[in-house]
Amino acid sequence: MIKTRLCDLLGIEHPVFQGGMAWVANASLAAAVSNAGGLGIIGAMSAPAQWVKEEIAKVREKTSKPFAVNIMLMSPHAGDIARTVIEEHVPIVTTGAGNPAQYMKAWIAAGIKVVPVVASVGIARYVEKRGAIAVVAEGCEAGGHIGDLTTMVLVPQVVDAVKMPVVAAGGIADGRGLAAALMLGASGVQMGTRFLTAAECTIHPNYKQRILAAQDIDTLATGRRLGHPVRALKTPLTVRFAKAEFDSALTNEEVESIGAGALRIAVQEGDNERGCFMAGQCAGLVKCEQTAEEIITQIFSEAEALFKDQKPWLM
Amino acid sequence: MTNFEKVVEIMQENRNVDPSLVKPETTFAELGLDSLDMVELVMAMEEKYGCALEMTADIKTVGDVAQLLGA
Repeated sequence: MIKTRLCDLLGIEHPVFQGGMAWVANASLAAAVSNAGGLGIIGAMSAPAQWVKEEIAKVREKTSKPFAVNIMLMSPHAGDIARTVIEEHVPIVTTGAGNPAQYMKAWIAAGIKVVPVVASVGIARYVEKRGAIAVVAEGCEAGGHIGDLTTMVLVPQVVDAVKMPVVAAGGIADGRGLAAALMLGASGVQMGTRFLTAAECTIHPNYKQRILAAQDIDTLATGRRLGHPVRALKTPLTVRFAKAEFDSALTNEEVESIGAGALRIAVQEGDNERGCFMAGQCAGLVKCEQTAEEIITQIFSEAEALFKDQKPWLM
Repeated sequence: MTNFEKVVEIMQENRNVDPSLVKPETTFAELGLDSLDMVELVMAMEEKYGCALEMTADIKTVGDVAQLLGA
């Protein structure tokens, strides 16, 4: 059994987080991952606090194990949700797309364990100093909002710079990725794309099919011009967005409007033309639909086998 | 040394910024610095001056960061 200090710290059996994916990471998926011994995460995205409250209640109906809420700091409701997690006694909060400093004092005072998602060493050090219990260091192989550095270079540099446990994210979809992350010094991994095809993941079947069919070169990062790049599968929409980014005749607002609402369309309607199917570069590694428990069992047994017998690597 | 001068000194040491380009109203974006660079600067200031600086989303200019250092 692979155990790390993250397990005791958060009260989880296996050191794996399920990413707090917008429109995807609802109570169904989060509860399944938590019940399987990982850390299930509700993605609060840009939803109002009431929706988050309802999802928290649904998770609690399905599991008594620890779970987390991911707060997207660019959300217009971030302040409300920051209060909701305190009122609802959510045990763990992860944060994304920004600097959570303004909320951390109140969360920590309320006994919430805070695990920010970071894309640089500086922000990891900054949040550690302010009481973060761990960080997720996410490389740009990931889907959704991304930074600039790759997982391979970001994780060991964050590990060297902080004392708290580091969770590696971005590009990890199987036991090899898990083993590699642990070798880089991580205490666990976060996976998003691999859980997109979990049986308990309620996204449209077309979305799952697209992930299962994806190859290595099938994702595209767009939005650098707007200052918040996003990785998704190459589709007519993302290709149009990428072209618009280089069109100096268009304003930033016009470019932004091309992607408005497109993730919801992908998740709920599965529309191949109008949808934005967010996914990481590891989509090409995702080959079948399995339950969350099967996914977790498989990646940990693969990693254990690799640690036991390193011969596949060495002559 | 004024707070503004302290910030400019750290920007030069830590981010290689030419001090002659920096006025209090200069934005970080104008200097080619993003939010991650700002966190680096804030950490460097905290470590050099032993303080804790509250970063807020509305920090745009070098003068804004100097104000964080307080009186």
